[in-house]
Amino acid sequence: MVESPITNALEDYIETIYLLVRDNKLARVKDIAKARGVKMGSVTPAMKRLAEMDYISYEQREYIDLTPKGEQLARSIVARHDLLRRFFKEVLHMSDDAAEADACSMEHHLSDEGMDKLTRFFEFIGNCPDGNPSFIDRFHQCRAVQPDLNGYDSKCNDHICREHGSGHCKRHERRRATKSLADLQVGETGKIAQVKAKGAIRQRLLDMGMLPNTEITLERLAPSGDPVWVKMQGFQLSLRKNEAEAILVQG
Amino acid sequence: MSEPVIRVALAGNPNSGKTSLFNVLTGSRRNVGNYPGVTVEKKGGRFTHNGKDYEIADLPGTYSLTSYSPEERIARREILGGGFDVAVVVVDSTNLRRNLYLLTQVMLAEANIILCLNMSDEAQKSGQMLDLKQMEALLGLPIVETVGNRGIGVDVLKDTIENALANPAKGERLVLGERLDLVVDQLAEMIVDDGEGARPPRWLAVKLLENDSLSKQWIRKRLPEISEDLIITAQNRAFEIEEETALDISTYIADRHYGYVNGLLKEVVLQEAREDSRRLSDQIDAIVCNRFFGPFFFMLSMYMLFYLTFSVGDYPMGWIEAGFEWLGGLVSGFWPEGSDSPLRSLIVDGIIGGVGGVIVFLPNIALLFLGLAFLEDSGYMARAAFLVDRVMHKFGLHGKSFIPMMTGFGCTIPGIMATRTLENERDRLTTMMVLPLMSCGARLPIWMLLIPAFFPEHWRAPMLFFIYIFGIVLAAILAKVLRITVLRGEETPFVMELPPYRMPTFKAMMSKMGERSWLYIRKAGTIILAISIVLWAISSYPKLDQSPIDAKIASGKIQVIDQQLPENLSEQERDAALEQIIGKAKESAAKGVEVLTVNEVEQRKLTEDLDYSVAGRIGSFLEPVLSPMGFDVRISTALLGAFAAKEVFVAQMGIVFSLGEVDEESETLRDKLAKAYNPAVALSLMIFLLVATPCMATVAVTKRESGSWKWAMLQLCGLTVLAWIISTIVYQVGVLFL
Repeated sequence: MVESPITNALEDYIETIYLLVRDNKLARVKDIAKARGVKMGSVTPAMKRLAEMDYISYEQREYIDLTPKGEQLARSIVARHDLLRRFFKEVLHMSDDAAEADACSMEHHLSDEGMDKLTRFFEFIGNCPDGNPSFIDRFHQCRAVQPDLNGYDSKCNDHICREHGSGHCKRHERRRATKSLADLQVGETGKIAQVKAKGAIRQRLLDMGMLPNTEITLERLAPSGDPVWVKMQGFQLSLRKNEAEAILVQG
Repeated sequence: MSEPVIRVALAGNPNSGKTSLFNVLTGSRRNVGNYPGVTVEKKGGRFTHNGKDYEIADLPGTYSLTSYSPEERIARREILGGGFDVAVVVVDSTNLRRNLYLLTQVMLAEANIILCLNMSDEAQKSGQMLDLKQMEALLGLPIVETVGNRGIGVDVLKDTIENALANPAKGERLVLGERLDLVVDQLAEMIVDDGEGARPPRWLAVKLLENDSLSKQWIRKRLPEISEDLIITAQNRAFEIEEETALDISTYIADRHYGYVNGLLKEVVLQEAREDSRRLSDQIDAIVCNRFFGPFFFMLSMYMLFYLTFSVGDYPMGWIEAGFEWLGGLVSGFWPEGSDSPLRSLIVDGIIGGVGGVIVFLPNIALLFLGLAFLEDSGYMARAAFLVDRVMHKFGLHGKSFIPMMTGFGCTIPGIMATRTLENERDRLTTMMVLPLMSCGARLPIWMLLIPAFFPEHWRAPMLFFIYIFGIVLAAILAKVLRITVLRGEETPFVMELPPYRMPTFKAMMSKMGERSWLYIRKAGTIILAISIVLWAISSYPKLDQSPIDAKIASGKIQVIDQQLPENLSEQERDAALEQIIGKAKESAAKGVEVLTVNEVEQRKLTEDLDYSVAGRIGSFLEPVLSPMGFDVRISTALLGAFAAKEVFVAQMGIVFSLGEVDEESETLRDKLAKAYNPAVALSLMIFLLVATPCMATVAVTKRESGSWKWAMLQLCGLTVLAWIISTIVYQVGVLFL
């Protein structure tokens, strides 16, 4: 998408203008200087340069606006920035400040392909039907258990697998949180706190109205105790026990 | 009337009464059940109103328009595809909140909407009162109250549909809250697409926020220049919302939709339904689905179903049988006695024998369908799925697989179609693959013919039971094997609504039974008629000019005993006398001369004729494969017919045993079978017919439903090979003991 040679500094300006226009509806040289923490005198030449390259429409003493070309570039820069920040935060669990700073410096250097691949990888992690692919979870568990070891160290991996095999670990996690729908007594009513299921089932439960603060009653159990039969919002439905376990309630 | 047809879509939650409404609108008979997922594919019908033609489609029941289940994808494609002039959103008035959630989805899709409050009588009975004027004003949509199963409000609905063409109402009043609306508008602004089949921008914006894969695919294809920016921007906005609200985006969006519905209901519900409106239904469940008594009631209901089918069905079956016997006799009477007319043979043996043998089972089939209709319409089927899910789950199946499998006892075809209610592809395929093992109605005639022929009275009922159970157990094992081999994968969830019990209307049950039975009759009148004629022809032609046995008699190599025995002898005395005569004849006969009775000669002749015919030649060709199971040429030819339709097996056995009339009650056919084969053959044959080669129609439907020949062929070949192995073992072991 980026075809003309444009410096990092200029890209930063475009990004700033875009954000100013988006949030304040207008951008003036003064605002830009303030936002970037530079003198107004150094903004003006940059604006001229950008106008020459047809990224902005700039007349002296006028509001600055992005051209369609500029807006497209800006959107793409902002998108990269946000994506990188989220990647650092969500996947690598970095601190807010560090994520922001690294995103800022990396956004200019990512190639189109790198960007594309990273987007899809990130999408995959977030969109995988089972939620986070277990290797990400395992990586963080491993860091938590033995911070000095590399996530892919075989010893660590074995250790994690044995000690925190995914099923075991999930149960462990749940026990710590509020109790699950499956823990209710027959006839007991709770308020939904969170639906922890993933993928299709999660969407189905949400579509049926299993939203935070909705009251739900455990009506009865099947002969073997599974599935369970619940009542909510004037209708009744049955769920397997392991699905009910993924619905957290406050008793 | 050259005006274009007006296309109407019916959308709604499962169990919202869409299908009843569809039936009333079109006057057609469709399956209505009181369990989720009766409409497994979009079905169309037509009606005319005020001189205009309408085409109406009953979309599958869905809770939403996501892209997770095949049904939802169908409904979504239809609504978004813009193939409709009007979308009627049918909601269950007794469960407005959840039903209106779907309405908000359709509003987002910018269809031209009419809201239909169905089951309004039940809602009123429960004490619920609505301010419809206010509701229309707030939604900006026309509203019609209906009672689908009694046809109330249908004319008003038709008028409203007509009206909606001139005054489209697209539900622009959907408000998702300031926060979300802002983001959605921002994203929607970026989406500019005026091409054919464009998606509503606000819909796309929401779907992109939800990270919906189909929408992403669509936008990447349609708007490649902006797609990546759009997708990333949407995800970033979603992330911001998540950070601000501490809810994940899909919860937040669902919550906003429900927020809109709740706000609406607060304004329009003048009086809530009484708390106890479902009390009776709950009281029944407290007993029927009780943790301890539940299984008992389940067994009882299954027992009643089969009792109804087999015991009650016996009476009308006798009448039909007698009718066909009489008809066969009547037609035979047109020819002089002993005449060898091919036409007589065609009509009496081929047509009356073949088709009659199948129609005889109509009462059983009709009763089975009636029983299934009652279980479906009353709402018990969903409870049964709840009760058996655990067991089904153990074998890699799903509680919802239970419904298609029950249907499979009637006929495999609707069973396979009903697997569409299973959201997960692997569950669907597993269920489809093992469904032919549910002994279908078409196999009933076979059991009715073979069991009494080979098993003593007190073993007959257990044998029949054994066959059904054998199929079920084998299906369970096979399902498990499939799930740990080719269909391995994640477990799938079991989320199923349990609708309140409803008294099935007589009309609905009758029409359902009638529709399904009619399909059976039609099959008998078309496919089976045709196959009977073909089978009759290939088993009768080419004919021998002179049978070898006649030549042998003529040349003196065979001596025929044709001595009349006194009429007044008992059967035992007769046999003894005959034996004596044969013994004497043998002693006096020259060396190398065979001594046969007239009856034996007849039997030989028939065998020779059959061997010479096309069917016999195919049978002999297959014999090396089939003989390890104990099957001879006659059975082989009948198995050919059974592949076309299972019922044909009975007809063909009758034809090859050359009987005037073919029906299972005919003692002569059973006697002949009992004399010709030993029980080991019978057992091996029954197992083979149960397991092997699902009929052609099943293979075709499996191909269509699974979307590939691969699965259809796996089903066909896998089951046949399995049947061969089991039957061979049964026969080989059986012969040792019998």
